[in-house]
Amino acid sequence: MQIATEAPSSFRSSAVRPGALGLIREALAETFGRRRLIRHLISADIRRKGSDTLLGNVWWVLDPLLQMTVYLILLSVILRRSTPDFPLFLFAAILPWKWFASSINDAVSSVVRQERLIKQVQFPKVVLPVSAVAAEVLNLAFGFVIVLLMLAVFFPAHATINVLWLPVIAAVQFVFTLGLALLVSAINVFYRDVGILSGHLIRLWFFLSPAIWSFDSSAGRFGAIEEALGEAGVSLLRANPFAVLLTAYRDVIYGRVNEAGDGFTPGQSPDLIALGMLLLLSIGLLILGTIIFKRLEPAFAKVL
Amino acid sequence: MPSGFAIQTRDLGVRYSLRFTKKTSIRRSFARLLKRNRGEKSFWALRGLSITVAPGESVGIIGPNGAGKSTLLQVLAGIIMPSEGIVEVNGHVSTLLHLQAGFDQELSGRENIMLAGALMGIDHKVMEERQESIVDFADIGAFIDAPLRTYSSGMRAKLGFSIATAVDPDILLLDEVLQTGDEAFREKSHQRIADVLGAAKAVVLVSHDMSWITEFCNRAILLERGSIVADGKPDEVVATHMEHSEHRKQKYREVLEGMRSGRIAVRGRPKQLVREAERTGRQIPAIAPEDEREPLARP
Repeated sequence: MQIATEAPSSFRSSAVRPGALGLIREALAETFGRRRLIRHLISADIRRKGSDTLLGNVWWVLDPLLQMTVYLILLSVILRRSTPDFPLFLFAAILPWKWFASSINDAVSSVVRQERLIKQVQFPKVVLPVSAVAAEVLNLAFGFVIVLLMLAVFFPAHATINVLWLPVIAAVQFVFTLGLALLVSAINVFYRDVGILSGHLIRLWFFLSPAIWSFDSSAGRFGAIEEALGEAGVSLLRANPFAVLLTAYRDVIYGRVNEAGDGFTPGQSPDLIALGMLLLLSIGLLILGTIIFKRLEPAFAKVL
Repeated sequence: MPSGFAIQTRDLGVRYSLRFTKKTSIRRSFARLLKRNRGEKSFWALRGLSITVAPGESVGIIGPNGAGKSTLLQVLAGIIMPSEGIVEVNGHVSTLLHLQAGFDQELSGRENIMLAGALMGIDHKVMEERQESIVDFADIGAFIDAPLRTYSSGMRAKLGFSIATAVDPDILLLDEVLQTGDEAFREKSHQRIADVLGAAKAVVLVSHDMSWITEFCNRAILLERGSIVADGKPDEVVATHMEHSEHRKQKYREVLEGMRSGRIAVRGRPKQLVREAERTGRQIPAIAPEDEREPLARP
């Protein structure tokens, strides 16, 4: 009997692999054709994270909040920095950063972790990093709810209609994250060093991005960095994709700190030109990541 | 099936790179770069394999360890891409390689059934229809709704077997994974395997148990060092295999004897020495003439 399948049943495989365009088409077909599999993997992933801790999935919300608290204490009590409505200032950037960091963290080991499966069942391996990254989207959605609550209850002075830009900014970040995830998950199969290194690189990246500081105000926070790095260093910092992303998040949620550093202008629309350019770059990264992943994919079962 | 074969391979070769293994790190790669060309970089697990399996055939693959049997199954399943040549498979393939491979510890038995179905690419509706019969066959009671981490290994094996055999494929690839569960389940599963084998249009089976080959197959292929040595009636091929392995055992004994008496000047495990010699085609450095022999210091 012929059973209905979601994947082509008869196949012909040879040493000849399709070109770059063919690989991208293949990856797209696999991702959409196997969306049910991706859904199963996502729900397993969420279940796994929720089940081994006492508070379960509440940690999704608590985690960025606690991290915000740590920086709040560190910066305002120990370093005596005063930024108006500092909790919101921090949370607006820490939440999306957390999303990025844990997505990459999960994606790096997503392929390697399924070693047994890859050696025994034929399935498109792209679904692994894709589902790892997609599972974290829920994380962010919960975080956004907290953001809205914070705005409504504690910081109504910052709230504007510009908050509606959030999904757009998140979409750009998603494309960027997915591209990077495909890249690192494939390379990690061959060099396990990538997994170890990425944690540290991401931490460094965090401090180089305007998460606990911003480009806005000269009063104490950005001035020191400017001095230390010089003109060239600063323009390099501005070219960082997360400089664009985190600034955009902060623009729409918090607004801007004024020059003197003692006041703020409420939420405003993000820099759309910078975002647009970043989107183009992210799509480029996604294409590159897909091609490299698909190129390396046939070797996974042999190397693992 | 439109064309006249279920599986066809033409000049199939699979090469493994020795550069990258599970444990490569950047450090090792640098080390390798520095001393280029030292040691072999790759080896062929399979080479020049042309096999055609017609519908209705049930082919047993036998051979010594490391002959490439499992690699062949992986290529036929589409898990590994050939390094050269072509593989064509006509029909839906199912492997019983993966009795428990896709299981997730946190999902319940039922959810794992659906996950396995999705992994194999089977339509969601079909899988929903079959769920009950899979649950019935596994026969693990209320545990079916509990997370998999609460299962005993026996229960896991039962569930795995039930899922793997529930999809009736056109082409069935079997690695010897069939001894699972308790006595009663084993009997039940033996019957199920016979049923599945009967229903499939073509079967490729790898086993070290020669009775499986002679019982279930109507053709056998003997693989040695990645190429076909014999292909034909199961009885005859099994006989050839027995002969060859007897010959190999004889060699081991000789080498072991030689090492004990000091006639063989290399150290190592006899099996490895013999295999190495077979692979490279070189003689084992000497079973040297009596008068030149130099006893090895016994450790």
